[in-house]
Amino acid sequence: MKHACDDALKRFLSRPELFKQIYTHTDVRLALGWASVFVAGGTALYGYKVEFEKSKPVIWAGLILYILLTTIQTLYAFFVEGNVVFVGKRKTFDKRIVTERITITSTSKPSTPSSPPAYKLGLTCVRSTSGGKSLLGRGRALGERGFNTFFDSHGVMDQEGFEQWAGELVGRVMEGKGE
Amino acid sequence: MFADELKTLRRLGFRHVLLQVLNFMSVLASGFMMWKGLGLLTNTESPIVVVLSGSMEPAFYRGDLLFLTNPASQRYKVGDITVYKIPGADIPIVHRVLETHDVVSNEKGLVAASPLAQRQLLLTKGDNNHIDDLELYQGLEWLERRHIVGKVRGFLPYVGYVTIAMNDFPQLKYALLGGLGLLALIQRE
Repeated sequence: MKHACDDALKRFLSRPELFKQIYTHTDVRLALGWASVFVAGGTALYGYKVEFEKSKPVIWAGLILYILLTTIQTLYAFFVEGNVVFVGKRKTFDKRIVTERITITSTSKPSTPSSPPAYKLGLTCVRSTSGGKSLLGRGRALGERGFNTFFDSHGVMDQEGFEQWAGELVGRVMEGKGE
Repeated sequence: MFADELKTLRRLGFRHVLLQVLNFMSVLASGFMMWKGLGLLTNTESPIVVVLSGSMEPAFYRGDLLFLTNPASQRYKVGDITVYKIPGADIPIVHRVLETHDVVSNEKGLVAASPLAQRQLLLTKGDNNHIDDLELYQGLEWLERRHIVGKVRGFLPYVGYVTIAMNDFPQLKYALLGGLGLLALIQRE
């Protein structure tokens, strides 16, 4: 359900009148992941062509490279990416070109005896101008709703309700309720 | 049947498809690298083999899984159970060492104080066979160390039947791979 909410969020915010998604995190993950797959493939091909004793140094090199790439990938996902699901940019014209950069994290809280499982959104918006050199303002917002408010018993998602709630949070963070 | 999934994929875009395919490929890649890593650690090209014949009964039966190591500096002793491959024949054979000798070299000068592991010559025989393996050696009189895949360290009974089934019925292999692929492409995370 968290993935369904995340996807809905990404679709909603990527609409042309809202934000343009920045794919840096995705691209890094794709690059590292596919690089490690190709390293594994290359090692496989080499091991297939060359007999065992002679192939050992190259296979060691391939194995170490693979472990390195996978470790960097995991560390990146854990430390740099964290819970971020959406990073977007928007340019508006208001006496000067203002760039807004929004970062959204989402986590799901497991259910407790008193409350159903919940979807928690954290938003951060940074407004700057002159190509990112002068900071205009920063806003932060948090929102949490139980999954049961968006999904009915068949698992069908209430898109408009979700978009309404998400849009309200985005509006709030853009107005710059700083912390 | 997959209309919903295809619709979702098209909506989420190209990057998403790349991510899902990456999920599947990295499962394969990590499985393969673990196999290769195990092979490097045990110094053998095939650290896990399946017993195909009954020539080692009652110690090993067809379908048993064997765990091998091949320490380069250790000599093989009479009584060790080895897995070897004759060049030209592709199947690994699991038999016990009957005799060992050393390669006689004509080097002048020093004589080695302790016999070197890599100079060993071996003769093997299956426990359940009446004669030794000389006929299997395809012309060789002795097995050399380079023919040995490894020494058996441990085993698991019956587990190897899965591999035997997949080799006898290749459709099973493709079905399994196809099923895994489908699962990886449709699932998230």
